[in-house]
Amino acid sequence: MVGDRLLSGHQPLDEVLGGGLPGNGISIIMGLPGSGKTIIAQQYTFHNATQDRPAVYFSTLSEPLEKIVRFGQTLDFFDAAAVGRSVFYEDLGQVADRDGLPGVGERVAEVLKQRRPGLIVIDSFKALRALASDDGAFRQFLYRLARRLTAFPAASLWVGEYGAGEAAVAPEFAVADAIVELAAVTLGQREQRFLQVRKLRGSGFLPGQHGYRLIPQGLRLFPRLADLPATGSYPLDGQRVTSGIPALDPMLGGGLWPGSATLVAGPSGAGKTLMGLHFMYGGARHGERGIIATLQENPSQLSRLLEGLGWPGGDPAVDVMYRSPVDIQVDEWVHDLLHAAERTKARRVVIDSLLDLQMASLDDTRFREFIYSLMQRFSRQGITLLITCETPGLFSAEGRLTEFAVAHLSDNTIMLNHHRDHGTMARSLAIVKTRASSHDPDMQPFTIGHGGVSLGDITQRAGPPATASANR
Amino acid sequence: MLDVPVATLRTWEDRYGQVLPARNGSGHRLFSRSQVEQLRFVRARMSEGASVADAYRLLAEQADSGAPLSAFPAGPVPRMLIQLAESDPYAAEFEEYFLKTEGFEVEVTLTDSAAREAFAAAMPAVVIVEVLISGGTGLDLCRFFRAQDGVAIVVVSPVEAMDAAFDAGADAFLRKPIDPLQLVSTVRDLLRSSALLGR
Repeated sequence: MVGDRLLSGHQPLDEVLGGGLPGNGISIIMGLPGSGKTIIAQQYTFHNATQDRPAVYFSTLSEPLEKIVRFGQTLDFFDAAAVGRSVFYEDLGQVADRDGLPGVGERVAEVLKQRRPGLIVIDSFKALRALASDDGAFRQFLYRLARRLTAFPAASLWVGEYGAGEAAVAPEFAVADAIVELAAVTLGQREQRFLQVRKLRGSGFLPGQHGYRLIPQGLRLFPRLADLPATGSYPLDGQRVTSGIPALDPMLGGGLWPGSATLVAGPSGAGKTLMGLHFMYGGARHGERGIIATLQENPSQLSRLLEGLGWPGGDPAVDVMYRSPVDIQVDEWVHDLLHAAERTKARRVVIDSLLDLQMASLDDTRFREFIYSLMQRFSRQGITLLITCETPGLFSAEGRLTEFAVAHLSDNTIMLNHHRDHGTMARSLAIVKTRASSHDPDMQPFTIGHGGVSLGDITQRAGPPATASANR
Repeated sequence: MLDVPVATLRTWEDRYGQVLPARNGSGHRLFSRSQVEQLRFVRARMSEGASVADAYRLLAEQADSGAPLSAFPAGPVPRMLIQLAESDPYAAEFEEYFLKTEGFEVEVTLTDSAAREAFAAAMPAVVIVEVLISGGTGLDLCRFFRAQDGVAIVVVSPVEAMDAAFDAGADAFLRKPIDPLQLVSTVRDLLRSSALLGR
């Protein structure tokens, strides 16, 4: 416990809660069975229990105490040595069976006096409701219990398998100082878990749904990416950087601005990933570290692609973050990417591709916000971003770009197209937008071969390590 | 013999410069019978709740006065009465329990008028006054107690009211919910200082 807040031991969760749960308050942890309520409650228990201010974990009529403890042992933070010293498990179910709700209230008061805990957990609180003869009796029990808990300096967690609808009607929600909901959202065959703060008296918190996973270390939360308010201005680097394709840089007015976001859109097979690789390895040749965040090619496929281009072995300055697009959670993915960028001090990031991310996202509005926030963050850090985006159909996607969330958010947009050229398929490239810069509006045919992309009329063999770029 | 580690005794000797043992030829510390009595006196005061510094101060005062140490028996302190003037019966239940387990006698009153009546009859050594009693007359009650002789007053409140409490004559202020240890140590401190002042 820090000040008047109860900490979880998992910093992202405490941050979402604006610093932690109320240290002297009642917090409800609600969620359907299997959402991880007991795990999070045990996490708080073991993190906060000390011999001076122990934690008491009451089971009620829902799950046998033995099961809670036995399952608890499978979690990394479970400390068997603490049980009976700073963590006490107690079965309220027996008291409830024998003496009903008044007995439960008395027993909790007794334990507060004898153990003087800093934290008490009642799991499941919802099950106690079944003991009340009617609503009035339950409210009376609730009132007395809340007054007792208010009079004693301890935090309490009431855990219950409440559904979202119950929060509006069940009287315990009116008593609670904080309400944390664990929910799962199903999309097709997939399920994503979210934590949401429904109420937190006397404190701000990060609103919205935050993705989480349950792992042996407990609940791991990925706070939803939202651009920070009042961020102020940040210095802009006045020197452009290379796109990685020397012939393209003059078309962009001299290269890309550091911290800019470039969208490379085009149909399947048009060369988007390749543009991303040029961008990445072009930077690496100038000592700029980078991350390829790909949902398309796994590392083996990527090495094969690089070998085909005659750039075997990649570059130690380039890290590849590959995640399978199956079952990714966008919040977790972005958390990993930001963390990797910070760890490697990356100056460039390629996201390949936007469509994969969009498909993993549950809601389009949220997805736009998320991409916007990600761009803002990278921009502030001076990290230059290139995002690939697949457009439908095989030929021109012109006029359909606005369908894609980020077209208007990106600083530069480069369209890649297939077109028919005397009975063969040819590729061309057009710069449709550059922010704070003039650009060459002409369509440029290009070919892909050993060494990568070669631009048509102003052909210049490109790509590391073949030629060096002067545009930096 | 005294249940005090040697390292602690050395620290006390350095810090308070009292009860300094002689050394034998091999450097071992030799306490005289009267020095052992002095240390027993210190231990006894500490077991009654005094800090080490207070215990040594009492020892020094005792030595100055020339009275024999046996005038201060090391037995248990007489039972002290603490009166609670609490608006919340649930808080009163906890406070009563924690004070009783520390050996105090406790009289619980839940209204302003009951508190005034009980005070006249019981003459407690410490009163604990809740600001919100009887709709918020706690500070008036505090002034009333202050006008009486020889009682220490602790004001408790769920909101920050330390300045108002001291203005009304309180000796200590505690924010609710009250930590059991803090409650007991505050009451002990007040009893100790009033005992020192009273002598």
